[in-house]
Amino acid sequence: MPTHQEPALRTTGLRKAFGDHLAVDDIHLTVPAGSFYGLVGPNGAGKTTTLAMAVGLLRPDAGSAEIFGVDVWHDTVRAKGLIGVLPDGNAMPERLTGREVLTYLGLLRGLPPAVVAERADELLRVLELDSAERTLVIEYSTGMRKKIGLAVALLHAPRLLVLDEPFEAVDPVSSATIRAILRRFTGGGGSVIISSHVMALVEQLCDQVGVISGGRVVAAGPLADVRGAATLEDAFVDLVGARTGGTEGLAWLTS
Amino acid sequence: MADVLTPGLPALARHMVRMRLALMRHSLRGDNASNLYTAVLFGLVMAFGTIAVAVLWPAHLPLVLAVWLCGWVFGPIFAGGGSEALRPEYFSMLPVTPGRIAAALLAGAFAGPAPAVNLVALLSLPVYGWRFGPAGVLIGLAAALTTLVTMVMISRVVVALIGLFVRSRVTAATVGIVTGTAIALCGNGWAPAVALGGADAASWSQVLVRVLPSGWGVAAVEAPWPLALAVLVAGAGVIALLLAVWASLLSRRVVSAARGGVPPRRGTPRPFPATGGARVVAAKELRAWWRDLVRIQLLATAFSYAVVTPLLLVTVDVWILVPFTGLITIVIAAASSANLYGADGTALWLTLMTPGAERADVRGRQLAWLLIVGPAAVVLSLGGTLVSGQTWAWPWTLGLLPALLGGGAGIIVLLAVTSLVPGTDPHRRGGNPLSTGADETAETGLAWLVLLAVPATALPAAGAVLLHPWAGVATGVLTGALGAWGFGRIAYRRLENHGTDLLNLMKHGPPLKADKPTVADLPVRHRIGVTICYAIAWLPLFPQGLVPMVMKIFGVEERVWFLALHLPPLWQWPTIIFMIATGLLMYGYAILIPMRLGSSSSAIR
Repeated sequence: MPTHQEPALRTTGLRKAFGDHLAVDDIHLTVPAGSFYGLVGPNGAGKTTTLAMAVGLLRPDAGSAEIFGVDVWHDTVRAKGLIGVLPDGNAMPERLTGREVLTYLGLLRGLPPAVVAERADELLRVLELDSAERTLVIEYSTGMRKKIGLAVALLHAPRLLVLDEPFEAVDPVSSATIRAILRRFTGGGGSVIISSHVMALVEQLCDQVGVISGGRVVAAGPLADVRGAATLEDAFVDLVGARTGGTEGLAWLTS
Repeated sequence: MADVLTPGLPALARHMVRMRLALMRHSLRGDNASNLYTAVLFGLVMAFGTIAVAVLWPAHLPLVLAVWLCGWVFGPIFAGGGSEALRPEYFSMLPVTPGRIAAALLAGAFAGPAPAVNLVALLSLPVYGWRFGPAGVLIGLAAALTTLVTMVMISRVVVALIGLFVRSRVTAATVGIVTGTAIALCGNGWAPAVALGGADAASWSQVLVRVLPSGWGVAAVEAPWPLALAVLVAGAGVIALLLAVWASLLSRRVVSAARGGVPPRRGTPRPFPATGGARVVAAKELRAWWRDLVRIQLLATAFSYAVVTPLLLVTVDVWILVPFTGLITIVIAAASSANLYGADGTALWLTLMTPGAERADVRGRQLAWLLIVGPAAVVLSLGGTLVSGQTWAWPWTLGLLPALLGGGAGIIVLLAVTSLVPGTDPHRRGGNPLSTGADETAETGLAWLVLLAVPATALPAAGAVLLHPWAGVATGVLTGALGAWGFGRIAYRRLENHGTDLLNLMKHGPPLKADKPTVADLPVRHRIGVTICYAIAWLPLFPQGLVPMVMKIFGVEERVWFLALHLPPLWQWPTIIFMIATGLLMYGYAILIPMRLGSSSSAIR
């Protein structure tokens, strides 16, 4: 039985290799219930692969993932009932409109039709997708795709939201809306995990941070502990051992 | 200073060829490679067959070349948009005129196996020219080159035209009807020709196949040399014209915003039915079919092929196929909807993340397919049998109809999850609405598999009809229901257990480390054997085995090209049984050898 004492997400020794490339290597993460967790890391660090394994969309080579104590790979159906997911770059039912996508998925989940209609209406209005009533998802812009994906993740009122790059390509106004929604969600007892490249955003939103690099966790814990006295950005550059390039070479670029 | 250097055409063409070859090299792994070997081997057999025609039956050479042209024109429409390894969109920001880009892309288009195979086939022209002396060989060689370029160009222009102008349901359906009719004509076009002209037909059809661009080479070889030269020059002119047309079409395609083959819409869509489970999935699927121009076009192709083929035979007063119009429709429509999950791409993640949705998803897709194909198939079957007056056909139609409908609904979802061909996600496809980005050879192979598997589900019903007419109807209803239920059950079980594998196959492509050995890993002699068996096993099994068996049972007098029926009666049944056995053995070998390899892969490696 899931309880509030169990962490919202716990991964133990997750590992995944694509051919010879070890994308994720022994990832241990604990996301306390009720926290707003930021997963950060450079391009190709394994964030998306980790999240996909944590929610049950990619089978790990080794390790396990638990959502509120429910094993994702053994008690799949119950685990899926607890989470809402926004994966990065996956297709949707492309030939439905935004409202139809929400109605379809709500009904498929077995929500009562009246509840589905009411929630779809509210989500579309809040996320400002209601003006595109006749547009099919295949014709949506990248930002609109993110927003309908977020609406799908929220629709069944999950206890944990797992959002891969939720702010990418989203305009500033919508971004503020999404932040407000997510804050309300955690305020009401929900838990959120986001992955992001934007350190300022993670600093502003999250109370817990995990830094992964080269498929491994290099730091994790409360935001204040991870960043120490510096900003998260400085701590991040320090942790992943990168030096900021861009000052040498490219001499021909001057006009 | 911004660099304003523009690459010259030869350099540009060279780069395109290299890029195309690199793309091909990277895609040649596992199943893709074995599919390619199969296709090339099959093409080479046909190419050498064409050369044999030039030597042995030269009168038929223009006709055979016309079939190659048909392949270039209709192949891409049916198999998904033509090879688009080099998308014009990649090069839209190069500071080069559209004409040059088109010419360079054309060079890239030749860096593949299909034009090479076709060139072998066109070597039939210089071989034919040998009859007219050395000049004939020379003219034949030149004509082979111009004909090859013309065929490839026509194919590209057709694909580009469809990409640009198929923007509504009407145009999509029109293209589908034209394609279906053309394919039917390729198979049974002789019938109306015979009906129209009798003995004259031979003469005017000879003119027709020479007037087609594929026949110009033959015309040039046969003509006195000034005329031959004029024909060659005209051929070059046509190439230049096609290139100009293609260039302008490409530049329009690159700047046209339309994506994904979505028809225009008016008004707010009808609200979703307030239901759940399979029925809400079916509602989604019906909308997806109605709002996808490619699916509409493929369905129109299937229906028109199924309706036109029997009608062509009616022109020579053969009504035998008319009662079966609906049945043909079912089989062809199943073949064109074989890659259901591959076509939707990574949208599968939503089914996987919704608790317990896999069953509803599979059942809903089956329901939608039955709603789209079923009513038309029933009407065509009943109407066809009534109109044709072939009363003997009633038990067959009524028995096979439910068997095929149920079997088709089962087979398509089963193959969709077991033999999924990954493509590009719908929202990431280029400006060619016909292309799904999937490997065409694999998609065509899947369609062939459906064409074999769906009729096979009706075999018990057919056997029962032979025993007692009305037992066939009961058996058909029973096996149909069993097929739809059972295959669907296997499909959703598999989706529940291996759904994430399918999702990641579509997201990341086939795993780099092949878990199971493929045909490409077989020892060479088995690889050749398996390929040949897959390619020609249908020949003894179906046309030379099962079809003459059925004809003999019904006492149909026509012998057509069925070997057994040309033999003395004493030898007919043994020949038929021998042919069926040979076909089954070949399929058995082709299927079992790779399986045996799979179970003992560690021993071989």
